[in-house]
Amino acid sequence: MKSWRSIAVFALLTLPFSFIPQGGVAGAAEPRKATSIDELAKMYDSSGCRQCHEQIYNEWDQSLHARSIFGTGRTALTVATTVKVGLMNWKHSGVKKPEDVKVKHVMVCFKCHLPQIAEATDDVAKEIVALSIKYGAKDTKPEENDRIEKKLSSININCLVCHQRNAITHKWVDGFPQKNEVYGSKDGSHVDAAHPVLKKSPIMSESILCGQCHGLGPNFELENPSQCGTLYGSYLWAYRAEGGQESCQECHMKKSKMGHNMQSYNDVGFGKSAVDFQVETLGYIWRDKAKMIPQTLVKVEMINRAGHAIPDG
Amino acid sequence: MPIPQQLGRGDKMGRGPYEKSGIIRDNGLPPNKPVHENFEIPFPAEFSKKDGKDVTSILDHDMTVDIELIYEPFGDKDTGISWHKVTRKVRLEKGGV
Repeated sequence: MKSWRSIAVFALLTLPFSFIPQGGVAGAAEPRKATSIDELAKMYDSSGCRQCHEQIYNEWDQSLHARSIFGTGRTALTVATTVKVGLMNWKHSGVKKPEDVKVKHVMVCFKCHLPQIAEATDDVAKEIVALSIKYGAKDTKPEENDRIEKKLSSININCLVCHQRNAITHKWVDGFPQKNEVYGSKDGSHVDAAHPVLKKSPIMSESILCGQCHGLGPNFELENPSQCGTLYGSYLWAYRAEGGQESCQECHMKKSKMGHNMQSYNDVGFGKSAVDFQVETLGYIWRDKAKMIPQTLVKVEMINRAGHAIPDG
Repeated sequence: MPIPQQLGRGDKMGRGPYEKSGIIRDNGLPPNKPVHENFEIPFPAEFSKKDGKDVTSILDHDMTVDIELIYEPFGDKDTGISWHKVTRKVRLEKGGV
């Protein structure tokens, strides 16, 4: 009888604390995290934007942002390589098999390729990794690869990543992005039941918006830093510091006339316009002591007109 | 390209994005700075000796040179993208002392 009483008291003492969200404050519940790729895709569904912004949406749909996880297949395969060659071989990573992967492990890729995964559970990281590994497997049938491609392509860098989640860098100054808001060039109302508020983002036409992903160098906030791109670092220190004045958006969106299909080297015309290429030739006979050697001198001058080094990587 | 340092230490290049930390060197094109590359291409010729002297017989006084700038995002020509291509014809003078 005594033991029953102690169990009852223990239960009463622990009950109130069981409602406190992990790492949060009682009464201020954290937003629910996505537990699957489908849930995360739904959480960041921007297909409704197409209704009013059709041209912009179609431009984006052609961009690499629209396929940031699957890519041409190569990106998904690189995710698999990161797990198999990197994480599973590192003594202190905590990953012995793909099923051990957590969100923190994939942030080396997904900080930029899928930043919204911060709003997902470890189950989503495991699901993406499992599909990426399966995509690259020899015994995976074509129809299964098609299914994987479709699933992985449902999560990407879309309207809500740039125009909501990453639209504000200085949150203590400008406030935290809200789920019912979208951010653009002005304040006002927005004809969308899910996002009825339009707010001006102070950085929407600034390079720092792109710099959040396009790389300063090693990401030291990670337990195991790495760098994928270094373009923004090059932009700051080799372009702006040397007198360059244009922004990422001015070249990749406006001058290129590609808008939200902001290509780089894949667009031959854009790539060509980035580098001045001059060639001079001279035929002559070189005299090596008494020996006459006929040859051609080819002199090439290249001037990179982009706001960063070419190539990046 | 910026040649990434493997795990931020030593002299080895890291290739996988999970192991790149730092830059060993950059052999790419910096913004707004001229980069010059010179190439010397020999004309086809035969070299012999006559009366103890070197003799050069030029087999062709004309040469056509194709110069192409190819962007190779994945490090091979198969997936490379041609940005610029020019053709130059070079002619050597005949005769001379």
